[in-house]
Amino acid sequence: MRTDDHREWRLALGAYALDDLPADERAALSAHLEGCPECRAELRELEGVAALLPLADPARIEQPTARPPADLGARIEAQIAAEDAKEGRKRRRRVRLWVGGAVATAAVAAVLALIVLPLGDGENSPAQEVSFHSVPKGVSIDATLEPHAFGTEIQMYVKGIRSGTLCRVFLEDAGGRTYSAGSFRYRWGGDSEAELSSALDLSQATAIGVHAGARTFVAPLSDATAVVPGADIDPT
Amino acid sequence: MAALTRERDVRAAYAAHSGELYGFAVRSLGDAGLAEEAVQETFLRAWRAGERFDPQIGSLRTWLFAILRNVVIDLGRARASRPRVAAGGVEPAVEPLEQALLAWQVEEAMRRIGEDHRRVLLETHFRARPYAEVAEELGVPEGTVKSRVYYGLKALRVALEEMGYED
Repeated sequence: MRTDDHREWRLALGAYALDDLPADERAALSAHLEGCPECRAELRELEGVAALLPLADPARIEQPTARPPADLGARIEAQIAAEDAKEGRKRRRRVRLWVGGAVATAAVAAVLALIVLPLGDGENSPAQEVSFHSVPKGVSIDATLEPHAFGTEIQMYVKGIRSGTLCRVFLEDAGGRTYSAGSFRYRWGGDSEAELSSALDLSQATAIGVHAGARTFVAPLSDATAVVPGADIDPT
Repeated sequence: MAALTRERDVRAAYAAHSGELYGFAVRSLGDAGLAEEAVQETFLRAWRAGERFDPQIGSLRTWLFAILRNVVIDLGRARASRPRVAAGGVEPAVEPLEQALLAWQVEEAMRRIGEDHRRVLLETHFRARPYAEVAEELGVPEGTVKSRVYYGLKALRVALEEMGYED
């Protein structure tokens, strides 16, 4: 058997598996198969697929793939959140250790804090957890605020808003001044926990807010509850 | 992912698998509204039973499809029990669900392979047109049609395996 012949026979295996070859070609390829274990093995694989083809409906193949509506994910998320709230299952709210790439941000923020801001009692104040109450039905926004020497580390948990919405987070002090805590884009399907930081010391902050698209939501920190560091009330 | 107990796990599962689940739901229920309902119910059931998901036993995808299959059966029963349907006196011909799933996988795999390969498989196999005729229409030698059938079947196999098919 010459290599070229083998290659040619191999390319005819698809038509053979689908029983599309004229009788003479089929007979010749059958003869080749008897002496070629490689082609026999390949034919077995192709026949497996060929046997499935009759199941398919050609009209459906030519229709575009059906895609779920864009808001289906958010609807499921809202329903799960509602059930979650009803059953009292709590989401993981671990106060994270200060690690890794955030250190550089922290250093810059710490310098800014020294220059611009009055110093509070920094890391001595406890971490705070706050839920936004003035939000539309189906939307939930929660935040964990943790004091640091540089200011405040914030973790935002957002649910139920339109995927792709730009969220700009800020802290407010008693004088009504706002301090940016950065921004993130809410993505359904992505990680909705955003980690942010603000140069305002947590002890000086009186409220946390988020501009989500065209809307602004604010939660006073008087509603916040203290978090015991390291506590993890997730059932898993 | 060890279990499906956190909302973010469900979110990740939705991002990875909702397209396929919805595609199959539309295929088997024949109705976009019902398909949405089925996918929504699938993720809710997955969330409620999340602690029972064990990746040691099977993939998340397989588990979700198993839930969807039950949801589709339940929705089908609910639909069949409506008097309007029963009044006809004839049971509608329903494709067995396992076969519907396999059929949908083959159709989806056909959509995923290259246009050249899909085209020759559609024309020669599904429309039973002679290779020479298809070759002339495409302006390629007949041998090219034959080799595209070969490579098309191979690509189809890969696409099916990516969707979890094993023979």
